[in-house]
Amino acid sequence: MKPSDILILAASNLKQNKVRTILTILGVAIGIGSLGAMVAFANGMQNNIAKSLEKNDLFTGITVSGVNFEPDGYNIYGAANLIEQVKPVPLDDDMLEKIKAIPNVSAAFPEVIIPAKLKINDKTVSVNIKSVPAMMRDYRPFDNIKYGSFYTSDNQKGVVVSRAVLQKLNIFLAEDEDKPTSGNFTILPADSIIGKEIEIITTVFDVEKVDLLYKNSRELPVKPESTFLPVCGIVDANSFSAGMFSGGIFLPPKTCDALPSVDLKNVYDIINNYSNSGQYNSIHVRVRDFTQLESVKYALEKMGLQVFSIGDKLKDMKKVFFLLDSLLAAVGIIALLVAALGIVNTLMMAIYERRKEIGIMKSMGATAFQIRLIFYVEAAVMGLFGGILGVLGGKISAMFANSVANSQIGVLVDSTVEYFSFTWSLIFGAMAFSVAVSFLASIYPAARAAAIDPLVALRRE
Amino acid sequence: MTAIVVKNLCKTYHKGEHLIYALRNINFEINDGEFVSIVGRSGSGKSTLLNLLGGIDTDAKGEILYDGVNLLTMSEKQLSQHRRFTIGMIFQSFNLIPGKTAIDNVKMPLIFSDYPRRLRDTRACELLYNMGLFNRAMHYPSELSGGEAQRVAIARALANRPKVILADEPTGNLDTATSAEIIGLLQMFNRKHKITIVMVTHDKETANRVSHKTVLLSDGEIIKITSSNQ
Repeated sequence: MKPSDILILAASNLKQNKVRTILTILGVAIGIGSLGAMVAFANGMQNNIAKSLEKNDLFTGITVSGVNFEPDGYNIYGAANLIEQVKPVPLDDDMLEKIKAIPNVSAAFPEVIIPAKLKINDKTVSVNIKSVPAMMRDYRPFDNIKYGSFYTSDNQKGVVVSRAVLQKLNIFLAEDEDKPTSGNFTILPADSIIGKEIEIITTVFDVEKVDLLYKNSRELPVKPESTFLPVCGIVDANSFSAGMFSGGIFLPPKTCDALPSVDLKNVYDIINNYSNSGQYNSIHVRVRDFTQLESVKYALEKMGLQVFSIGDKLKDMKKVFFLLDSLLAAVGIIALLVAALGIVNTLMMAIYERRKEIGIMKSMGATAFQIRLIFYVEAAVMGLFGGILGVLGGKISAMFANSVANSQIGVLVDSTVEYFSFTWSLIFGAMAFSVAVSFLASIYPAARAAAIDPLVALRRE
Repeated sequence: MTAIVVKNLCKTYHKGEHLIYALRNINFEINDGEFVSIVGRSGSGKSTLLNLLGGIDTDAKGEILYDGVNLLTMSEKQLSQHRRFTIGMIFQSFNLIPGKTAIDNVKMPLIFSDYPRRLRDTRACELLYNMGLFNRAMHYPSELSGGEAQRVAIARALANRPKVILADEPTGNLDTATSAEIIGLLQMFNRKHKITIVMVTHDKETANRVSHKTVLLSDGEIIKITSSNQ
């Protein structure tokens, strides 16, 4: 019996019970659709994070810290004990020069982040001011500024604003294709923002509030102070990225240094008493190529520095994603198993109904294997059609979910995001899986069919 | 030349503690091109014997030799080959596949025997034409009369050009005129194509009229074997 004969026989058998076949196929389709959508969602999340990291060149970025923690030393004595175990390596200008001199290091600059408030059009939002040197104009994400330009010198009076910050202020650019069409938004042309002075509100010491008698010790001795700077560019800083290049506003280092602010950047400044010591908390290092990351990291660690790179964390992230994939796939697989039981049921019913037919086929010389093959193919055909329908349904649902999610969540981030990623490998993989599961589901019914005794099946009624 | 030799064939089954003989010490020979009828009352073991001859049942003692090869010791694969190419079976209740048209029913054995696909339609049409059913080729069994259905069953049994046709009461469900028609067809194939025919029937008169040899069974034993000069 030729494979095409088996296929024709199987198809004709399935055709005889159209409703039951269609219902079984729908069951498989729902199972595969759920499984596909779950895996597509996990894929989508993974891709989005990886893309945003890549987009902002974070795979070639290293954050160097002079504070070398030894977490194993952390014990019941808590923070006090932790402070004792901190072994600082001075991160000063000399160290910065040494780092710049490491082969394959293309850029290095201190990471300075100052919390502040930003006021545009009478709306205020909390932002982080990030001190980024003008030379970063050649690096992502600043090398491709869509509106305006990156500042050209480290002492330029100008600020680059991320689109995410504008969107937090409910300001959308008229040039954006994905701008909202309804709601409480302000839509402005980019030209009306570029060159406009914006108000940056920082925190400074207020000597008048210093309470020596601790009468009102809950209030910090600080007050807000405004600085006005013109916007020179608007940058796309992806919401998924982290650290220096996520949302916020970017200032040239000297302009940033000149901002009036309390000179405590973060909690380490308090515990290490670093302020006013001419030292930095951390330094951002860029390597020329991802492949050189390891050698640069090795050199930095040799200098006694604490090194952190997203590239390293990607391995851990992959483990997390594998777990996420598995969990989501498990949900889909349960749906598919239910569908597989549907296939078993359909085939068992078919065996009871076609008992005599199987007996006739055996009396004509069909072997047990040929009978088994017919049932395998029937199941596989249902699996294939279920798989195709499921993938199609899953894809359509994913497109719909993507569009709904982007219309609802998309306004909070700065670009359209593909939350469900149906890759070709997922499409074909899901279909193959559907066929495989259907085949497995047919093993028992097929064995039962093959074992039918023609003598019993053909016994006169 | 001898086509089938049955030697010391015994078939038993248990009914409670009792051992019942369905067939007891059956011995006879069928020559090539013979028309043999197995006759007997209900429960005499006719159909049991035919099922054993067709290899549908192999649970028996003794020997059934086709060209010297014992059917009862054949492997599953050999039995399938035997059913495909050596024998064709016709049943009282026609046993056509209800979901397939007449032509598809006739083509079924050709599928299992790997008959070239491009020739299957021609072969099936030729057989249906010979049965006078060319115009009923696309009809489903439910749309055929009893006689037509049995003629389709005969066409199906002849599809792979078997040496032997085993017919289990082929006229049992038919009226007298149609029965005569079916018997006539079997006779024609026996005479014209020298196909050995083994027919089970309870109709002694017809058996004696059309057969070269009549085996009379009673309670699982051969009472008499009659040969005629036909």
